[in-house]
Amino acid sequence: MTKINSIYVIDDDAITLFGVKKILAKTIDCDSVSEFHNGQTALNALIHAMENGFEVPDLIFLDINMPIMDGWEFLEEFLRLPIDKKIIINILTSSIDPSDLRRWHYYKDRTDHLVIFKNKPIFSIDLCDILRTHMAS
Amino acid sequence: MKTNILNTNAYTIKQLPNAIAFVDRNLKLNCASDEWAAFFNLDYHMAIGKQLFDVIDESNYSWREPLVSTLEGNTECFLQTTLTGNGIEKWFELSTKPWYNEEENIIGAIIQVEDVSNRVLMDLKFQKLENLLRDQSEISKVGTWEYDLDSERIEWSAMTKKIHEVPHDFQPSIDKAINFYKQGHDRNTISMLVHNCIEKGETWNTKLKIVTAKANERWVLAAGKPFYKDGKISRLIGTFQDITEDVEAENKIIENEKLLRTLIDNIPLNIFIKDKDSKKVLVNKAECDYLGVSNPQEIIGKTDYDLYDKDVADISRHEDVHVMKTQKPILKKRTINVKKDGSSTSFLTSKIPFVNADGRSKGVIGISMDISDVIQKEDQLRNLINVTAIQNKKLINFAHIVSHNLRSHTANFSMLLDFLVNEKEASERKRIMDMLLHASDNLMDTLENLNEVVDISTDVNLEKKSLNLNENITKVQQNLSAFLHQNNVQINNNIADTVNVKAVPAYMESIILNLVTNAVKYRHPDRNPSIVLSAKKKEDITIFCIQDNGLGIDLDKYGQKLFGMYKTFHNNKDARGIGLYIVKNQIEAMGGNITVKSEVEKGSTFSVYFNDKD
Repeated sequence: MTKINSIYVIDDDAITLFGVKKILAKTIDCDSVSEFHNGQTALNALIHAMENGFEVPDLIFLDINMPIMDGWEFLEEFLRLPIDKKIIINILTSSIDPSDLRRWHYYKDRTDHLVIFKNKPIFSIDLCDILRTHMAS
Repeated sequence: MKTNILNTNAYTIKQLPNAIAFVDRNLKLNCASDEWAAFFNLDYHMAIGKQLFDVIDESNYSWREPLVSTLEGNTECFLQTTLTGNGIEKWFELSTKPWYNEEENIIGAIIQVEDVSNRVLMDLKFQKLENLLRDQSEISKVGTWEYDLDSERIEWSAMTKKIHEVPHDFQPSIDKAINFYKQGHDRNTISMLVHNCIEKGETWNTKLKIVTAKANERWVLAAGKPFYKDGKISRLIGTFQDITEDVEAENKIIENEKLLRTLIDNIPLNIFIKDKDSKKVLVNKAECDYLGVSNPQEIIGKTDYDLYDKDVADISRHEDVHVMKTQKPILKKRTINVKKDGSSTSFLTSKIPFVNADGRSKGVIGISMDISDVIQKEDQLRNLINVTAIQNKKLINFAHIVSHNLRSHTANFSMLLDFLVNEKEASERKRIMDMLLHASDNLMDTLENLNEVVDISTDVNLEKKSLNLNENITKVQQNLSAFLHQNNVQINNNIADTVNVKAVPAYMESIILNLVTNAVKYRHPDRNPSIVLSAKKKEDITIFCIQDNGLGIDLDKYGQKLFGMYKTFHNNKDARGIGLYIVKNQIEAMGGNITVKSEVEKGSTFSVYFNDKD
């Protein structure tokens, strides 16, 4: 089992949150899985962690359509944060709107973090290999 | 005695003032007047008693034959010419008569000569003049006539006869002459003119129509005047000119002018001609109508500065000068004319240089087409295209929303069912089952919301009715009474009972319900909700405002998404992200609009614009 210290799951849908956590529990050994219902609360927590020397997450599951601050707005803010660690951001959405795909490409090419785009539903997390190679680099 | 008498007679004859000579039967010159001798340059004394042809050269004066005839009792008279010593041609008339004695016997001949050179020359001159006059009258087609009042004889010149198409020997009378004039106006006129001339001495010079002997109609310029003798009118004289060609040419010009005028007055274009100073010299009816005058004279001589706004006139004058200077036309230019009264009209204007015979510009010919209607249609069309484009965008947006929302639920189903299949533990299975039920409820809600939206989008022909705003507000207040009471809501309604709006009843209720509910839902936690309702009329629009003291919305952040579907901005578990989306769709379906002003922590004001037109 891959060992990861901290994971954020950002989604306003309770079922998706339940599903992601359930899958994570089976595949990844993680001390801390934090869940957020919109981008703003996640961003606040992240900034709080950075300011207080807590660990920032290694992996973020990010929904796009959320109230208050949606996935793209979160990503916009997140990419501005001075984080040295390479983080995997897994966009998880039911949107098949081509404009969302275009925006993913836009952000993906602008950062050293790894931004992955996945359509719901998810049945398993097959990130392990990517995760390993990514974190090793 | 006989000789004496003769001698006495001879001496008398010598003194006669006429050139006269007597010859006997043998043509011996018996006696002559001094005048006679002088006529032929003869010495009187030398000549008397000589043979006539001894003193006068017979080769120059072939008198023998007439003299022989005279001696037989005939009188002869003829014209002869001779060259004088200094080479001047001299005309004289020779008359011979038998010379009788008391017994009536012919004893000789009397020869009289008369110098008629002056008369002949005059005759020639007269003939020449006559010829000249005839030629002249032939060329100018001016004939003459003369009417003698006493004899009632009327004389026509050859040209006058020619104009009447009568033969040379035609003898006119005053009645015949008058009857040549066309029956009716022309004949009455000439009768009156002739009468007035005879009675009052009035002259005339009038264009009239005649019908010739060959039944051709001709225009003539008839002129006449009285001729006085001993202070009384004795004759009328006048001229008579064929002006048919002139009149026809003139009529043709008038006809062409009329045709042109009819054309430019009936063409649905504004036509004008301006001179060098941009003063109007010609305007057609359409231009008069446009400028609100009935008589073109009211515009002639005016410039654009007299008729239009200064800015417009400046542009127009600039164009005129350009066209005259370059002699290149401006074609189909879109212009907007603003009249003095401020009304503006859109035109498609062409300006063409108006050029002199010598190639210099003398003004501008303008043709304008009123295209206000076309532009209005264009605007309507553009609006329609915009509306269609917006609708299209909405539709695509809606399709994405539908696909996204349905997909998110199906994705949850798939995931949960996958868990369920692989889950052995009973308690966990129960948990997954609960979640499936929850997902199913969510899907039902989503479908209901979508239905509601689709209803608005498909009900394009919903009938708007005049509705009383306050009655509808009261109805909503009653429906929400428990909810409002529970939240301690205070509503201040400042709307007059008379305010009516044009709206679809169901939409009207939905809009008020959603906005009031939102004002309470997003209340500020520190204070009781207070709602202020107001309304104002503006032309064809009624603006309904609903002001709350709630949380407010950060419009810089969320303004663009506020009325979008499934957009929520507060941590409110009741927020569905559908209410404002539906409100916006409903008000837009009724030709209206909705706007918002808001300040975070203070509250929001939504303004609904009801379109009062059908």
